[in-house]
Amino acid sequence: MPTIRNQIRELRAAREMTQQQLADRIGVTRQTVIAIEQDKYSPSLETAFKVALVLGVPLDQCFQYDPRGKR
Amino acid sequence: MPTGLSYREKSLYASLLTELCVYGPYFFLHQHNSVNKVAGMIIAIIVLQTILQAIIAAFTRNRITDERDRLIELRGYRAGYLTIASLMVVGLGMLWFHATVGHLPMDNRMMGLHFLSVFFGMLVVADITKTATQIVAYRRAI
Repeated sequence: MPTIRNQIRELRAAREMTQQQLADRIGVTRQTVIAIEQDKYSPSLETAFKVALVLGVPLDQCFQYDPRGKR
Repeated sequence: MPTGLSYREKSLYASLLTELCVYGPYFFLHQHNSVNKVAGMIIAIIVLQTILQAIIAAFTRNRITDERDRLIELRGYRAGYLTIASLMVVGLGMLWFHATVGHLPMDNRMMGLHFLSVFFGMLVVADITKTATQIVAYRRAI
């Protein structure tokens, strides 16, 4: 289980937003959104805040830190 | 060209293709290396890279690069640096061995061309390692 998990896929789907639309709004590539959603890449704090802002939820609803997780 | 690839990935595939197409024949087909051939190869790399990168840029609408691209680029440079540093140690060790044992029947000019080729080969291997590492990182979605 990764150290940082996220609910971006679920939150994005609830807003009927595509990966490309989210990527455009936070200023990253679609491939980066895919990597974040698959828990293969942990974004910078700045990007994490942008994701939360675009999805309209608090940061800790998007990303959760698991101290027992392994990368 | 696959549409699932980002601009950076397409660019890296083009670089790897160019490197293999130009360096491959040089190192595996040419028996006698020379300064002219090295210069020709550098010109070929520049021309091919310019053409391919221009085509990719023309056919890719979204050309943004982000933090993940920069992270992967850094990983590539680290792999390239470790490769060239390791090869340098091996190369210098071989030079020391040849100098100590003294079984290198070459005149000074041949010696110069020999080491030009060897050290250029190290640069090439490091460059290919750098590009390949970045492609692997993209494929593993890191």
